[in-house]
Amino acid sequence: MGRFTDEELQRKVQEGFIVESEEDMTETYKRALITQLTVQGDTELISAPAYFMAARDAPSTNTMVSATAIIQDELGHANIAYRLLEDLGVDRHWLLYEREPAHFKHPYGFDQPLMNWAELVSANALYDRAGITLLGDVHRNTSYGPLKRGLVKVSLEENFHLRHGEVWIRRFAEAGGAAKEAVQRTLDWMFPMGVEWFGMPDDRKHHNAQLDFRLKGMTNDQLRRTWLKAVVPLCEELGYDLPAQYDPDTDEVELTYELPCQYDPEARRWLFNETITWKQVFQRWKARGPMNEQYVDSLRRSRFAVERLLAA
Amino acid sequence: MSGNGQVYEVFARKKRADRFEHVGAVSAPNEQLARVYAWQTYDEAKWFEMTVAPRDAFAAVNRPQAPFTLGGPSGSAPTADSR
Repeated sequence: MGRFTDEELQRKVQEGFIVESEEDMTETYKRALITQLTVQGDTELISAPAYFMAARDAPSTNTMVSATAIIQDELGHANIAYRLLEDLGVDRHWLLYEREPAHFKHPYGFDQPLMNWAELVSANALYDRAGITLLGDVHRNTSYGPLKRGLVKVSLEENFHLRHGEVWIRRFAEAGGAAKEAVQRTLDWMFPMGVEWFGMPDDRKHHNAQLDFRLKGMTNDQLRRTWLKAVVPLCEELGYDLPAQYDPDTDEVELTYELPCQYDPEARRWLFNETITWKQVFQRWKARGPMNEQYVDSLRRSRFAVERLLAA
Repeated sequence: MSGNGQVYEVFARKKRADRFEHVGAVSAPNEQLARVYAWQTYDEAKWFEMTVAPRDAFAAVNRPQAPFTLGGPSGSAPTADSR
């Protein structure tokens, strides 16, 4: 490591330089990359038990097959991120099996229970859209060669998950009645989770190593806006109510509630009138949500059980 | 069971006339499992042919370092509690 200074490397990657070896990196670059890949791997990994919980409610064998295919894709994507981390010297066994569940870095939205089919397909429509928004940007802009290549498979498959979600929420909308209400109830708590997915607003974020080193191309607010402009017009077209409004004249989306606000995970309800600080939001994220330990444990339990059998 | 054996690089092509493309890597305790992991993980296309080879089988031709490794002393990085 270390033929460039941070400033030299920042200038080079902004001009299109692609990092392919340790020698090309600086310590700061490597640390920012490790953080980014950990968030990416953890998000893909934890989506698997979250989706699996809801997939048990699949309405038929065929739909169960699509849901488990999505889960298998997500595990493959997690594997790609963790493999890249392994090459950077991070111990994969530690990542998967030894970390405290609360130290995982996936978004708070994936610490929530997904209870049924309507919730699974809504998550495909909203969260996988968030995944495509974030990773699509990384895919186009990252200065790290191995990640750019690794994302080819990920981008292909995330689009399938998104289509799965959008086709199904349309189907629920067209059916109307209780079907539509089931998705509406889900969107009521899930949509603001998606808004939070993109992190602190730009004016609250002091360090931006990921942008300086071109590990991504867009800021949090730009990414959030891209997501909103995809999700809100679609939901409006389908007749779902969201606390946001799309203006076709300006091609902009406005939230109709004040960010940030408090969430009651037991009631699964946003307290839109209870405005809080971003510091409090950050504390809520760090404390993790109701399913955090259970999801992590479900990925570990049988490995440890089988290890004990093999050792006996 | 820490450390997962070794790293295998995965190559595949969609049709007979195609060139092999480097599609990724898997960590596996042996070649048999590497083949299974590769086929299960990199299933984004209906490959005509897929092959795996241990990472350390690749020799550099024109560059100082062999490909795929990052060239650094392996395991030298901080175990990331990057929080």
